[in-house]
Amino acid sequence: MTQHKASPRFEPDVVVVGSGAGGGMAAYALTRAGIKTLVLEAGRTYDPVAESAMLKWNHQAPLRASATPDKSFGYYDATAGGGWDMPGEPYINAPGTIFRWWRSRMLGGRTNHWGRHVPRFGPYDFKGKSRDGLGADWPISYEDIAPYYDRTEKLIGVSGANSGLENHPDSSPGVLQPPSKPRVPELMIQAAAADLGVPCVPSRYAILTRPIEDAHAPRQACFYATPCGRGCAIGAAFQTTTSLLPMAMGTGKLRIITDAMVARVLTDARGHAKGVEYIDRKSGATHFVAARVVVLAASACESARILFNSHTAQSPHGLANSSGQIGRSLMDSTGTDIFGHIPALEGRPRYNEDGKDNAHLYIPFWLYKEQAAGKLDFPRAYHYEIGGRFEMPGARFGLAGAEDGYGLSLKEDARRYYGAQVSFSVRGEMVPNADSYCELDPDAKDKYGLPVLRFHWKWSDHEYRQIAHGVKTARQIIERMGGRVLTPDVPPEQAIQSGGEIIHEVGTTRMGTNAGDSVTDGFGKSWDIPNLVIADGGVFPSNAHKNPTLTILALSWRSMDHLAARMRKGEI
Amino acid sequence: MTEISRRETLAWIAAASASAFAPQASLAAESGPAAWSDAAVPPATGPGYGHDPDLKAADVPWPLTFNPHQRAILHLSAGLILPADAGSPSGETLPLDAFVDEWISAPYPAQQQDRALILPGLAWLDEEGERRFGQDFVAASDAQRRAIFDAIAFRDRVALGYERPAQFFARLRGLMLAGFYTLPQGMADIGYLGNVPLVTDYPGPTPEAMAHLNASLTKLGLKPFNQG
Repeated sequence: MTQHKASPRFEPDVVVVGSGAGGGMAAYALTRAGIKTLVLEAGRTYDPVAESAMLKWNHQAPLRASATPDKSFGYYDATAGGGWDMPGEPYINAPGTIFRWWRSRMLGGRTNHWGRHVPRFGPYDFKGKSRDGLGADWPISYEDIAPYYDRTEKLIGVSGANSGLENHPDSSPGVLQPPSKPRVPELMIQAAAADLGVPCVPSRYAILTRPIEDAHAPRQACFYATPCGRGCAIGAAFQTTTSLLPMAMGTGKLRIITDAMVARVLTDARGHAKGVEYIDRKSGATHFVAARVVVLAASACESARILFNSHTAQSPHGLANSSGQIGRSLMDSTGTDIFGHIPALEGRPRYNEDGKDNAHLYIPFWLYKEQAAGKLDFPRAYHYEIGGRFEMPGARFGLAGAEDGYGLSLKEDARRYYGAQVSFSVRGEMVPNADSYCELDPDAKDKYGLPVLRFHWKWSDHEYRQIAHGVKTARQIIERMGGRVLTPDVPPEQAIQSGGEIIHEVGTTRMGTNAGDSVTDGFGKSWDIPNLVIADGGVFPSNAHKNPTLTILALSWRSMDHLAARMRKGEI
Repeated sequence: MTEISRRETLAWIAAASASAFAPQASLAAESGPAAWSDAAVPPATGPGYGHDPDLKAADVPWPLTFNPHQRAILHLSAGLILPADAGSPSGETLPLDAFVDEWISAPYPAQQQDRALILPGLAWLDEEGERRFGQDFVAASDAQRRAIFDAIAFRDRVALGYERPAQFFARLRGLMLAGFYTLPQGMADIGYLGNVPLVTDYPGPTPEAMAHLNASLTKLGLKPFNQG
């Protein structure tokens, strides 16, 4: 995609920090409203059309494209310079904490490789505290965001189907693109789950099954090959680099500067934001960009870090932090995976099972009534993302632990076991707790000289019991298929993945109904600084089990519409 | 994201199966197996490909390790582990030696761990050949090589004292499987039919695949799907 360096004559009305889901949507919505917008991206420019390794075979890559510390999600993953660890840009875990922070340093951020699973939050998900007394309610309700869900799904392109299930809202008619036919292992899971009273319904993915015309960002329907995580050159799998950013660029109102690592937000004598300071990663020079409004969408933790690092004499604990809530309420999704080998799937007839990159069915939470009646020992919900297919063999190709001997029998075993495994990934809602937060480390700095984050993390019994339930039920479904569970049956304290590993981290600049216990209002507007808006997952007061990106996009759009109206009225 | 945990789980399974070799009475080795060399394996010190490699060039920047003799062992092992049949050619005819070399020469922790098993393992095959037959693994006959593999390749029949070589063999076999079935010949054998761009909607299962599924569901006492 074409980029334009900010020319001296381009004076932005709004500077947006970050070009992923929140920032990309901010750029789209603001430029549509005629507002001159500058996007600062800490990473390098990235063009999926030119760079993504679509249709490449694993044997064409080093180590059969397997994951390494250099490329944590595999060689072909569309992550350019980011990952769990980045040289020169550390983060710290407090003693006893294991928190993993996946960061991106590229235009489009994590949208280039994300999972694209886009369930909607439902009415319960915005009012968790009212329902069970835990955590915090959102200052908005499902009805407030529902129109933006419709608009966002239509804009980014979501294939799937309405299922009419409790707290899993349907989209309005005409919004969703057609779902894709399920694969054999998914149908077998569906049949076994149905027998156990568990629903298994068409999944919703931000993957086009129909093209979307656009003068600046035409996007093709999926061609049902290549993992989406490699980035999608044809624009079928949603990422901002093939959609929102070129669409915003097409208005003539957008400029993007890449390799611009934002250090801090600067304020004027009134305490209003006057712009941001960034470090040019290539030259090392520090620049200042002035703007009427600053929008932070650098990711939940990075935006919190920027605000901490923007502290002033008046705000020694971080800008916009009169509530003391910045960095608090850090949440991820709970997660664990259960694998099974299904003899009934051995030796089944071959066909092309690539399809869309993700399962065409999934298992949404189905026990709301039981939970409300007090029959479950955990609060909040979870879902399963399921798997199982004839997948492109990679470096982990194996026989489900049944490898034995050598010779012709081994080849026969390889044929027999191929495509006979299924997986269940539990994704659940964590309740925020006082022991899970981030703050600035008092000593450590990154290569730019900026203080870095220190993480504190603890799961509670809420999460452990939820994971135990998810593991138990998945094992039951595998066993109902006549399968053998491959995953060791360990206690939930061991089964649960580390904090941050699901990469759904949110909550560090939460929105609320008053300035005393939240960082922003329901439109992402800082209570303290009227021309500072936060448009990433940091504003989530709670983190429904449903993958957060759709809600980040819809919220960002809603907040930008509100911001544009305030700017039109001359309020800022 | 499920990738990490999936890898970790599979790694756990691999580790569990690798350590599950129950010692049994020695079948072949009256004087015990050749000694496993604990001499430190020199680590691979080449450069990695970095956090932002050119995905289309896909270069391997690190230098390789094997000498011609080690490559010969790999070739012969590949032919034994994955011999020719109607489905695919012998592993001996495919560049699996190059794949294992690339793998154990990479400067990453998982590969370095494999290096510390594979390099002593190759040396052990020679030692064991010398001890049993007076010649190294390459010079040995096909039957002699099979005799050595038979002592270490079957999880329930690992001869006493052969635990370390058996661990080596399990990992070598894992690498052979990965190397073989990621190549076009291996993918054709197991019937991977994807990575083909379609211009239609995804067609879903074939009638044969659905019939197989429904037969399986019926056997399990589960409700079959309507076909068509």
